[in-house]
Amino acid sequence: MQAEQQLKASLKEINDLKAALDEHAIVAITDPQGKISYVNEKFCIISKYAREELLGQDHRLINSGHHSKEFMRELWTTIARGQVWKGEIKNRAKDGSLYWVDTTIVPFLNEDGKPRQYVAIRADITERKRAEEAFRESEALFSKAFRLSPDCLVISRLSDRTVIRANDALCRLWSSRPEEVVGKPSREYASWLKEEDQQEFLRNLHARGECLNYETTVRMADGRLLDFNISSRMIFFNEEACVLSVMRDVTEHKRAEAAAAQLAAIVQSSDDAIIGKNLDGVITSWNAGAEKIFGYAAPEIVGQSIRQLIPPDRQQEEVKILECIKRGDSIRHFDTIRLRKDGSAIDISITTSAIKDPAGKIIGASKVARDITERKAAEAKIRQLNVELEQRVLERTAELESFSYSVSHDLRAPVRAIGGFARILQEDHAAALAPEAQRLLGRIHDNAQKMGQLIDGLLAFSRLGRQPLNKQPVMVSALVHRALEELQPEHAGRRIKISVTELPDCQADPTLLQQVYTNLLSNAFKYSRDRNPAIIEIGSRDEKGRRVYFVKDNGAGFEMDYAHKLFGVFQRLHRADQFEGTGVGLAIVQRIIHRHGGQIWADAAPGKGAMFSFTLEPKNVYG
Amino acid sequence: MAEALAEVLLVEDSPDDAAFFVRAFEQTGLAARLRVLPDGAEALAFVFGTGRFAALQPAANPRLIVLDLKLPKVNGLEVLRRLKADPRTRRIPVVIWSSSQEARDLAESCAMGVNSYVVKPMAFDEFGRSVQMLCQYWLQFNQAPEQ
Repeated sequence: MQAEQQLKASLKEINDLKAALDEHAIVAITDPQGKISYVNEKFCIISKYAREELLGQDHRLINSGHHSKEFMRELWTTIARGQVWKGEIKNRAKDGSLYWVDTTIVPFLNEDGKPRQYVAIRADITERKRAEEAFRESEALFSKAFRLSPDCLVISRLSDRTVIRANDALCRLWSSRPEEVVGKPSREYASWLKEEDQQEFLRNLHARGECLNYETTVRMADGRLLDFNISSRMIFFNEEACVLSVMRDVTEHKRAEAAAAQLAAIVQSSDDAIIGKNLDGVITSWNAGAEKIFGYAAPEIVGQSIRQLIPPDRQQEEVKILECIKRGDSIRHFDTIRLRKDGSAIDISITTSAIKDPAGKIIGASKVARDITERKAAEAKIRQLNVELEQRVLERTAELESFSYSVSHDLRAPVRAIGGFARILQEDHAAALAPEAQRLLGRIHDNAQKMGQLIDGLLAFSRLGRQPLNKQPVMVSALVHRALEELQPEHAGRRIKISVTELPDCQADPTLLQQVYTNLLSNAFKYSRDRNPAIIEIGSRDEKGRRVYFVKDNGAGFEMDYAHKLFGVFQRLHRADQFEGTGVGLAIVQRIIHRHGGQIWADAAPGKGAMFSFTLEPKNVYG
Repeated sequence: MAEALAEVLLVEDSPDDAAFFVRAFEQTGLAARLRVLPDGAEALAFVFGTGRFAALQPAANPRLIVLDLKLPKVNGLEVLRRLKADPRTRRIPVVIWSSSQEARDLAESCAMGVNSYVVKPMAFDEFGRSVQMLCQYWLQFNQAPEQ
């Protein structure tokens, strides 16, 4: 009875314990093969299976697959040996959700000492696990952020500045590996250039617990001086007062800033207007020079359209300028007119170039405008002076020509008289004259005749300057053939090869151009008379876009040293007893060519012939 | 009445040029008389029978007038104009005989109806040849209307 009572009491005790256990823990019992024979209410709740669905089922029903084969094997061998297994297991509930349980598996042994059943007692630790995982993740994240930050990060002990942690950027800067720097005083790697900066920085740090965006210069171990922006904060790390510092290398930035400031100062101080505008023609910057030239202050005009400065009749210019800029082209020294604030016009010279962003995309234009009012006035003055000068030259030339014309005209009669009377003496009084007197009279006559030729040449030359130029389309080849025909008697009986090649038509005074060919060809015949055969070429060629006509012979030629004398009046390169002439022909030719606006020049060598080339139109200024 | 000898009038102020002209003319052997007058006023007086030529018998009737342009008193162009403007003298051939090769002189002479314009050659020999050729042409080859 007492035993029964004792047993009853024991049973009650056990039931109470079981009830307490069920209240606290997740309990399951399996047979040695792992088949579930018992689950408590808590097991059903957490696994979301009904008890009937669990009993008799293999315990692997709730395996999550999270754990490795080794882990599971170790569990089973432990409990199969009759030992208690403790650990944390991740299981899968019926709906697929996962949960963590802190597990103790106790094998109950039979008389042989073999497991009879396994009792698993578990506690739900899903929340704790989640928190741990989150913490680990955030730890990893922050550690990564610390390590990989592009800024230099360091945690050092406040007392002696020993490095506790340093990130990759700092290690790179210090050219060391993280494990080398930890435990070393930071001054081994870098020190403040100015002691007073460091003192002030530390005072702030101590007073406020932090010092932010302090800029100073740091001398690196290798001697480099770098500018840093430093922010530090006091922190406690492993119960020690430490300093967390963020340091940014601003050396380049400061250099760029200084350069930009210098450029800005240069722009600002320029006398030229330097104006920025975007691709819509809206003004984005305006320097003091612009203010001086145009009269607008920067705040008045920035944000306005550049067209405000352009006279109504020149608006089209801006369209063209913007087109150019968008193509990436520049416009250099474009002289134009713009409007001041007061509406007055101003002569300016503009140079406009594209502004590109760092990627090379055109985002606007810079325009440098120079006030050229004075230059324009000076140019106008020069032009006026030129006109006056030209007028004066014309007047003087006309005076001189009419003088030389009348002088040479009046000289004709006496010269003819001298020659004439000498001849009359010879003819009518031959008997009364000694042979020597006869000879001398002949010399007088010849010289008078020569002087007459000179006077006629001078008259022809002078007449040319006063004759109006009658320009019209001319068939040059026809004109050359006429000149050749006219000269035929001069070289009758000589063996001469004449070749006339392409001679394009032109605009010229036909009479004068024929005179040019007559004189050039007459020279060519004259100076080639010792050649057998004489070869004379008449043609044209293209030279730098200009049509050049030429007459070439294989005659006596001349030394190029004297070429500059060739076209002067009465200038001769040959002695009169070699080749007769007055020295007027080429002067006339040059005068005709110049009156057409063309040029004439000669290429020759003694004994190798000469080539005279000329153009009939002014030089192409765009060539 | 025996036919009067043809008369050529030379109006020339330069005695040298006149002398050369006369010499060359005489060498032609033309059956003609040459009268030389030194200025335009004399020439007009002779042709129109005025002044010291008022009593001239028979009245002047030159077959050819050779006229220099640069003349004292009345210049050659003015003489030409007056000759060609008057119906009595319009038909007399007038040859301008000048040193001038000025286009303007040539154009004006033509406009006034000059019959020929000859530039005095510089060289003495050519000068003489020109005189002979122009006199022979106008007196021998050219057919003049009956008066």
